[in-house]
Amino acid sequence: MHMNTKMIVLAALGLALAASAHADAPAKPDKLVICAACHGENGVAIMPAYPNLAGQQASYIEHALHAYKSGERKNPIMGAQAGSLSDEDIKQLAAWFSQQPAKDYVPDIDGAAGSK
Amino acid sequence: MKAVRWGILALTATLMCATVAQADGDAAAGRHKFYTCVGCHGIPNYNNVYPTYRVPKLGGQNAAYIVAALNEYKSGERSHPTMHAQASTLSDQDIADIAAYLATAPEKKD
Repeated sequence: MHMNTKMIVLAALGLALAASAHADAPAKPDKLVICAACHGENGVAIMPAYPNLAGQQASYIEHALHAYKSGERKNPIMGAQAGSLSDEDIKQLAAWFSQQPAKDYVPDIDGAAGSK
Repeated sequence: MKAVRWGILALTATLMCATVAQADGDAAAGRHKFYTCVGCHGIPNYNNVYPTYRVPKLGGQNAAYIVAALNEYKSGERSHPTMHAQASTLSDQDIADIAAYLATAPEKKD
């Protein structure tokens, strides 16, 4: 195949992939950049001390953020970050992380070892 | 030269601590110890009763985070009556084993 043709095919494939990914995922929340610094934009944490959020239950993420914001759940970093979030920000962020390609899943205690 | 030697010693000590902390958990033992937890965490979309939200998915979660979370529930620093009761029965070894199991647990296919 001619070099230019190859490039065009690759570019078209790239566009198609980008378009399909865009159709499935919600719009990027305004405050995503705050979370991404530690939890990764796609919810895969940059360090093992931080939880992965990709695929996590949206209602659980919302609950956690509200608990950090109110001070019921104490963590110096999360308390400061969650304090700056509105209810709408929390909803958007929870929806975003819950819909990323899952890192978190329901474990199967009877499943074969190494099946994930 | 002396400084270099101290540096190497400190580095070795740090690496040893890091290795020990990670080698702690036994995933096979953790699978047995997780048995009580599956009543909620092994059921897809199971709800926490009040306030109502879905219990978190724990498979694939980072072990260090699970260890921190269980210790916070155990000490009561993180408040959740059921989780406090459960975590209170766990030793440091139990917690490390459960965390090791969860990080690599098989996935429940529903």
